[in-house]
Amino acid sequence: MTRTGRDTARGTRAAPPGEGAGPVRRPSRRGAWVLGYAFVAPTVVLTVLFSLVPLGMLLWRSLYSGGVFDFAPTFVGLDNYTAMLAEDGGRALGVTGLYTAGFIVLTMGAGLGLGLLLNSRAPGVARLRAPFVIPLVVPVVATALIWANMFAPRFGLVNRLLGALNLPQADFLSSPGLALLAVLTFGAWQFFGQNVILYVAALKSVPRDVLDAASVDGAGAWRRFRHVQWPMMRRQTLLIWVVTTLTGLQTFTQIYVLTQGGPDGATSTALYYVYNEGFVQFDTGRANAMGVALFLLSLLVTMAQLWLAGRADRAR
Amino acid sequence: MPVSLLARRAVVYLLLGLAVLIVAFPLFWMAVSALKTDAEIVNPAAPLWPAEPQWSNIGQALSQAPFGRWYLNTAIFGVAATAGQLTTGLLAGYAFALLEFPGRRLLFLVALSGLMVPFSAIIVPMSQLLGDLGWLNTYQGLIVPNIASALGAFLFRQFFLGTPRELGEAARLDGASEPRVFLSVYAPLARPMIAALAIILFLQNWNNFLFPLIVVNTTDMSVLSQGLSVFQSQFTTQYNLIMAASLVTVVPVLLVAVAAQRHIIEGITLGALD
Repeated sequence: MTRTGRDTARGTRAAPPGEGAGPVRRPSRRGAWVLGYAFVAPTVVLTVLFSLVPLGMLLWRSLYSGGVFDFAPTFVGLDNYTAMLAEDGGRALGVTGLYTAGFIVLTMGAGLGLGLLLNSRAPGVARLRAPFVIPLVVPVVATALIWANMFAPRFGLVNRLLGALNLPQADFLSSPGLALLAVLTFGAWQFFGQNVILYVAALKSVPRDVLDAASVDGAGAWRRFRHVQWPMMRRQTLLIWVVTTLTGLQTFTQIYVLTQGGPDGATSTALYYVYNEGFVQFDTGRANAMGVALFLLSLLVTMAQLWLAGRADRAR
Repeated sequence: MPVSLLARRAVVYLLLGLAVLIVAFPLFWMAVSALKTDAEIVNPAAPLWPAEPQWSNIGQALSQAPFGRWYLNTAIFGVAATAGQLTTGLLAGYAFALLEFPGRRLLFLVALSGLMVPFSAIIVPMSQLLGDLGWLNTYQGLIVPNIASALGAFLFRQFFLGTPRELGEAARLDGASEPRVFLSVYAPLARPMIAALAIILFLQNWNNFLFPLIVVNTTDMSVLSQGLSVFQSQFTTQYNLIMAASLVTVVPVLLVAVAAQRHIIEGITLGALD
């Protein structure tokens, strides 16, 4: 919390609302109160109504047998959770973990590598940053359809290339062993540009004179990276990891368009499971149990961020 | 220039060129596929470039589904949600940073809690809540739940904490009212940040797929992404028409992205690294 925040809290305790309580530091103070409440009201009210209330409903209803058409749901304790984990939900969490791990490695690896290249002093290189924004901003449904076409069995781009190289062809999106890899390839393509942009910004924040000093001391490119740039980007790497992990955990549109969770659940992620149980199978109990799992996983990532950031600050 | 430096630069250009090719090729693939004949597109031996570009595919795809209506819905949703997010974020950020009122800290935590609850975790109760309100398949159902922006409030608060307090004090001494101080002194300072956030929020809203999916299930109220996915399920094997329809949704966004790339890059960095 910032200094001003603490000051206010103290000021509040010293001067409760009421006639002439406390020293009036500024004539417009009461006006500022009213304006303050009016200004924060939309954000606060809408956050309560459309984030906290649904969260409460989620936690509460995850303990009840569910069905959209069930008007008198009964309390079932943790049954939804055990049923969810025992059946496809447990597998969906596994798929999500695998997908997210691959997603982090691919997009952060490509982001850092290309970030370093874009940070080089070669002329004109800085302008090459712009193309990486494109996959991020065009509609995912459209790019997913493009990739579905590129992965198509005989005439798709990938199989054409494999055929040209005399390698065995495959029906990627219908093969249990390859579908997740295909979806991951598309997911990484769609997102890695964000990590390129962020690593370019992070690398720019490393002062040139520190790098130049390292060069003068005889450090080559690798040692400059290992001992100057990488340690100085620790905070940004942590933030990039958090955003990337949260994005990976919430993968949905890619699956919805490309595989619908198939073949046989091989690409059913946690969020796709929530959607499928909640809006297709209408078993809202299990959908909510998985919703809670997703919420807790996201919370865990955010907590890990705070903890790691705190530890890094103490180390400094 | 020493040979080793030249060689190193050649490698840099080569690798970056390859990466740009990987980014751009799928879009090129979409464009050429959209212009192929039915026979060409399923023929693995057909050349990449269509023998005779079938421009009529685009018109045919457009005539098969109400793309105009979907564009309109997406525009209404995108503009209203973005305007709402910027307005509420700007107001809340300003109040949390520069106005003093009891309970400010607690209310700020409430606003921030929005960041802790990912929308994807609450899709089922959200749709039930909107159903209870009678808001399914309506514009208010699409727009209102998306208006509060915890990230916006947080970023604008950070911004205003960095502005000098003396500006406001001086205006107050000149007799300016509190709303005037905000409108004439502080809000104009935030203009560059509003621009960077506006474009990135707009694109996010424009491309939002999951939220409309759980709120809307009629053709009339669908947004473009939804419509495209329905189009695909109806014309499963007419790959050239599917690619033509995708082209129609991608090109306008691509033009915006090229025109506003600096703001977009700024907005991405702002959203994630601050």
